[in-house]
Amino acid sequence: VSASSIGRLVMLFLVRWSRYNPYYLEPEPRKELYNMPETELTTEQKEERELKAVRPIKATTNSTTSSVFNDPVLSKFVNMMMRDGEKILARGILTQTLESLKRKQVEKYHKAPQGKKAEIECNPYAIFHQALENCMPVIGLASIQKGGKFYQVPVPLTDNRRRFLAMKWMITECRDNKNRRTLMYEKLSQELLAAYSKEGNVIKRKHELHKMAESNRAYAHYRWW
Amino acid sequence: MAMQSGTALQEKVSRMLSKNQKKPLLKPNKPLVLKDEVANRKMNKGEATCVTEMSMMMACWKQNNFVDALCSNEMQSFYKCVEKAQIAKKGKSEQHTIGQGGRLAPKQVNTLLKRHPTLQTEI
Repeated sequence: VSASSIGRLVMLFLVRWSRYNPYYLEPEPRKELYNMPETELTTEQKEERELKAVRPIKATTNSTTSSVFNDPVLSKFVNMMMRDGEKILARGILTQTLESLKRKQVEKYHKAPQGKKAEIECNPYAIFHQALENCMPVIGLASIQKGGKFYQVPVPLTDNRRRFLAMKWMITECRDNKNRRTLMYEKLSQELLAAYSKEGNVIKRKHELHKMAESNRAYAHYRWW
Repeated sequence: MAMQSGTALQEKVSRMLSKNQKKPLLKPNKPLVLKDEVANRKMNKGEATCVTEMSMMMACWKQNNFVDALCSNEMQSFYKCVEKAQIAKKGKSEQHTIGQGGRLAPKQVNTLLKRHPTLQTEI
């Protein structure tokens, strides 16, 4: 079930964003879980399977697949880059970014001397994940009111929030500090490579956040959670 | 017994409202009726968790000029502390909803009051 094309009226019932009855279960797209033999299941998983035979299941979004190339982190990044619902454009930019990453790395690989060849990472997915991990802040700031004034208090962040901040910083940095003539995928690949080697503006922004948190460490006791 | 104390209270209230004897003590702009819900409030104010781990990590950052690779031990311990704190918070909130040490939780009181609200009309 998918929309025919962008711009035309969608002639189907959009069910995903209406409020499902709470007894609908979440869908499971990963194939490995279904290929496991009976013996390896724990009691919880066996119960889940029995429940799935009885209860209805929610519809998945269009972008979830059970293929090996389905990466939730990449899908989230594509959604964050998307503007005006143009998923094809956003996904195209991401594929071009991964391709240009691969090209640059393979070029470096061929130019490198024999000893250094093993250190160069050619897998663009690995580079993307490592770059994103290097951009994730460890600690964040929260605005807390105490005695009429607002203080920036250092606060631990959840994993989702950290991932979101890393992706957001990456995208805003590539959009704002871009030359007029460079394309988005070009700028993204440059930033990702810089983040992979822990340089560049996004890493600088992360360090600035850490410095702010460090300078405000006296207010850490204003937290109540 | 309850009816007697109820009527005594009503007499006191009507005396406070009346203009016969003295100046009325109460001048209510809305009818004196209780709401069918209770305020949601938490008695114990919590404290900041993982402050020691955080300060150790920040000291390490200060020393190493915010390079993350040299502070990985402190960061790992900070993450573990944060995880433990989150689990503890979840367990505590579950315990909160189940029992409240002699009193009902505000949510439970509200469901009860919703089932038996103040009568608007005479039956």
